[in-house]
Amino acid sequence: MRIKHVVFLLLALLPIAGLADDAVLAELLARIRQTGQAQFSYEETRILELAAEPWHGQGVMLSAADGSLVKLQLQPTRVIMAITDQRMLYWDPQQNQRHSAGLDSAGPAGAQIKVFRTILQGRTEDLQMSYDIAAEKQGKQWILRLTPKPELTAEDSPSIEISGDDKDEQRRILIKQADGESTEYRMQKATTAQQQEYSLQRLLREASGE
Amino acid sequence: MSFVWRKRWFVLLFPLLLAITFWQIKVETDLNAFFTATDDEDSRLLAGLLKSGELSRRYLLVVEKTEPAPGISNPGETLNSVAAFSARLVAQLAKLDDVEQVWPADQPPLDWIDAVASYAPYHARLFSLNPQTDAPALFDPTQLATKADGLKQALLSPKGNFVKAIAKQDPLLLSLNGFKALQGQFQQQAKLGSGGALILQSRPAALDSEAQTRLQAAIHASFDSLNAAAGGAFKLSMAGVPVFSVAAQSEISQDVTLVSVVSSLAVALVFLFLFHSFSALHWVMMVQGASFVLGTLATALAFPQVHSLTLALGASLIGISSDYPIHVMVHCAKHSNTPLSAVRLLWPSLLMGGLTTVIGYGALGFTGFPGFEQIAVFALASVAASLGLTRWVLPALLTNSSLHSAHLPGIAAWVNFCGKHRKILLGLFAVSVVLAGLCLPQIRWMDDMQKLAVDMDLLKQQDAAVRSHFSSIEPGRFVLIQADDWETALQRSEAAERRLQSLKQAGVVSEYHGLFPWLVSAQLQAENAKFYQGVTTPAFQLAWQAGLAKAGLSVEKLGSLLPAVNEPLQPAKIMDSPVKHILSGQIVTGQTGVMLSLWLGEHDPDKLIAGLADLEGTRYFSQKDKLDHLASKYRDRSLAMLGIGIGVMALFIWLQQRDMRKVLLTLLPSIASVLFIFATWALMGEEVSFLHVIGLLLSVSLCVDYGIFFIDNRGKDADVTYHAIASSTLTTIASFGALGLGKTPTLPILALSVSLGVSLGFLLCPLLIQKPTNK
Repeated sequence: MRIKHVVFLLLALLPIAGLADDAVLAELLARIRQTGQAQFSYEETRILELAAEPWHGQGVMLSAADGSLVKLQLQPTRVIMAITDQRMLYWDPQQNQRHSAGLDSAGPAGAQIKVFRTILQGRTEDLQMSYDIAAEKQGKQWILRLTPKPELTAEDSPSIEISGDDKDEQRRILIKQADGESTEYRMQKATTAQQQEYSLQRLLREASGE
Repeated sequence: MSFVWRKRWFVLLFPLLLAITFWQIKVETDLNAFFTATDDEDSRLLAGLLKSGELSRRYLLVVEKTEPAPGISNPGETLNSVAAFSARLVAQLAKLDDVEQVWPADQPPLDWIDAVASYAPYHARLFSLNPQTDAPALFDPTQLATKADGLKQALLSPKGNFVKAIAKQDPLLLSLNGFKALQGQFQQQAKLGSGGALILQSRPAALDSEAQTRLQAAIHASFDSLNAAAGGAFKLSMAGVPVFSVAAQSEISQDVTLVSVVSSLAVALVFLFLFHSFSALHWVMMVQGASFVLGTLATALAFPQVHSLTLALGASLIGISSDYPIHVMVHCAKHSNTPLSAVRLLWPSLLMGGLTTVIGYGALGFTGFPGFEQIAVFALASVAASLGLTRWVLPALLTNSSLHSAHLPGIAAWVNFCGKHRKILLGLFAVSVVLAGLCLPQIRWMDDMQKLAVDMDLLKQQDAAVRSHFSSIEPGRFVLIQADDWETALQRSEAAERRLQSLKQAGVVSEYHGLFPWLVSAQLQAENAKFYQGVTTPAFQLAWQAGLAKAGLSVEKLGSLLPAVNEPLQPAKIMDSPVKHILSGQIVTGQTGVMLSLWLGEHDPDKLIAGLADLEGTRYFSQKDKLDHLASKYRDRSLAMLGIGIGVMALFIWLQQRDMRKVLLTLLPSIASVLFIFATWALMGEEVSFLHVIGLLLSVSLCVDYGIFFIDNRGKDADVTYHAIASSTLTTIASFGALGLGKTPTLPILALSVSLGVSLGFLLCPLLIQKPTNK
């Protein structure tokens, strides 16, 4: 009899457990959803197949309400990578390398930065179209795991983990490529003083070479 | 066979013939196919390039913002930027069936990037066009640390995936050095555009106007739907050879319809005016219709496709081949003969008249234009049909028709005037001949074939506006490399590219698109490999590994510089890969050997020709110059054919008449009218093209008929004969005059030449040929 009761209770509570998961997902998606402009300082760690050791960089990310995004790398060298008007811009003054390409024709790099923008700007509907999303919350820490939908995305699409805490001051984004390479961003909201230091429009102009 | 059965068979067979013709015919509208001769290698090359050249299949599209209406703000600025809109348009256009590829002009299509990556294993064989000059810098051991650092930055850049795929096989990224020029092309374009310049390569050939019309409609539909969603903020401009071909096709179609309708109507009206008989008109039109259909069928059987211009010019033959029934009917009406007795009486003259017409049109067939070969066949079949039907069917058809021949005012008066004042008029004629002869050296020959093309100034302005958004590779002018085999052709092409590099530095050419390193000769590959093997010593490898370690890159994965692959990259292998599509516009199909083209940007032709002069198998090729050269070649041929045509006509007339004086008299009106027309053009400064000459050749073939009829005077009544000639002249002018309504310049030129020729010839007949006595 006892077993029967347990099974009955489990079956009865199963939908509630599902609802609970959905509620966490909705809450976390709402947490990362944001509009308007934002600025973060970041630290980046990349593990490249052809590199002997992880590569570290740091800088500032600026995002605008119109979908523009600038990643200004300050260390180890100054490099600007940006997307605006459906184009990806890249400017490495030290190597004197400048690229500009339509996002749709920029290959995997274009695809990756598009996903990154989607995450950073919290376009959750876009994410849900291409990824299966699982949410997890333990105490103040939360984590969203994004797995590419096999039927909708290309084989080499990355899987993504986004994690943070209740205060939303810090966030970690881990992008794992199918070939084993990965990029991890640890981001922190910029202070007001930091925000006044950089202008998104000016950086876009610099990147495009205007 | 009785008249009743002849009539029945005719009425029965005509629709059957029509049905067979519709089933058999394939109509072509490509003007170049009509005019471009293919009797030498260059002409074939030119015709092929015009027909299916890769650059010819490209559309240049430019998306721009429309001027914003004052006071209206645009909230969705990002979504509505030119770049964003263009990206959406590219995605939409790529789905169209007739689109092979579409890409923004400032970046290579994705499959080009894949193709570049496929060259990585051959890096040691194709890193430089000038290995001797480039190798010291490329393999400078002191720069290896910088090189390794550059590789790391490249791996971290947005192109990291692409670079990684290459670096695994080619750690020094030598193969990319070969493709530096390609990268430069796109960077140059990026400087020009705002992201709204797109290139679309169509699947159908440029001159397949039906498919191109469909594609252009689909492009506009895609643009319109996206633009509607964007609030109509954008405008689209298009340029490229297919845009012109569709416009030209549309003009020609309109011309063909207009000329056919007006020509038929004009002939019908003249006919009604002359004979006042709907019944006779109906039967004669049936006879002419059957002749036209037979001509079309014969052409459709003799050629794979019938050109629409053949049909337009063929329609004018209605007026000419109606001459035979008209002569019969004028004699019937004036002498109250039965049609059968009239046709029997006139048959020798009709036959000779038909023969000279066929000779004139036949001579056209030897002028070298594919289109005129068709017209010759068409004329031969339809004139023969018209003669045969006039002789054996028309009398049966006209049995119950009553004919009243109109009196044409002034005809008899002109004949009498010529008779009365013959001496004075002949004196004037002789003076005019001398003066006309003196004017001939002043003739201005047309040397620009473009003047014969459909006038599309508006389209040309639009084309220039669109092209200003693109880097300027010219589709019609290039350096042509020819050789018997691939290896020699590639060696020559490489020598030409080296020369173009120095010419570019000297400012003679702004840019060029060569074939290196897509295709590299075995000789250059061996040379590159030799340098590579020579420099990649163990010490060099150690220095490279040290550089990698300093940059934090994997020595294990990037440290070993593999020896050059043993086998060179063969052209056959490349042409069997997707690279074939990238190069298809530069590999020119000739009948023998290999032909390669190096595309040119803006350049100084004379300096370029001089710069390439000493290179074997290498020459500058300009479609326009070639066409212009062909224009003079065509003119010379046309003049030769005019002479030969007249000679052959003379021979046949002599065979019939056996009297040289009569031969000369028969030919004199037409030859004199040609002389006067040439002199008038010389005085007026008219630019005379081969088409003018061809028009005169036709007028001679028609005018000679008048001479034959006038001298033969089979009805023994000079007034009636001249009335019949006048009627023929009227129908000829009516039908050829209709050509003058066409917008394709070829048609008005032919209209003018033929109409002037037959009118003058007609007027000169009674002056130069003494009025035959009415016996």
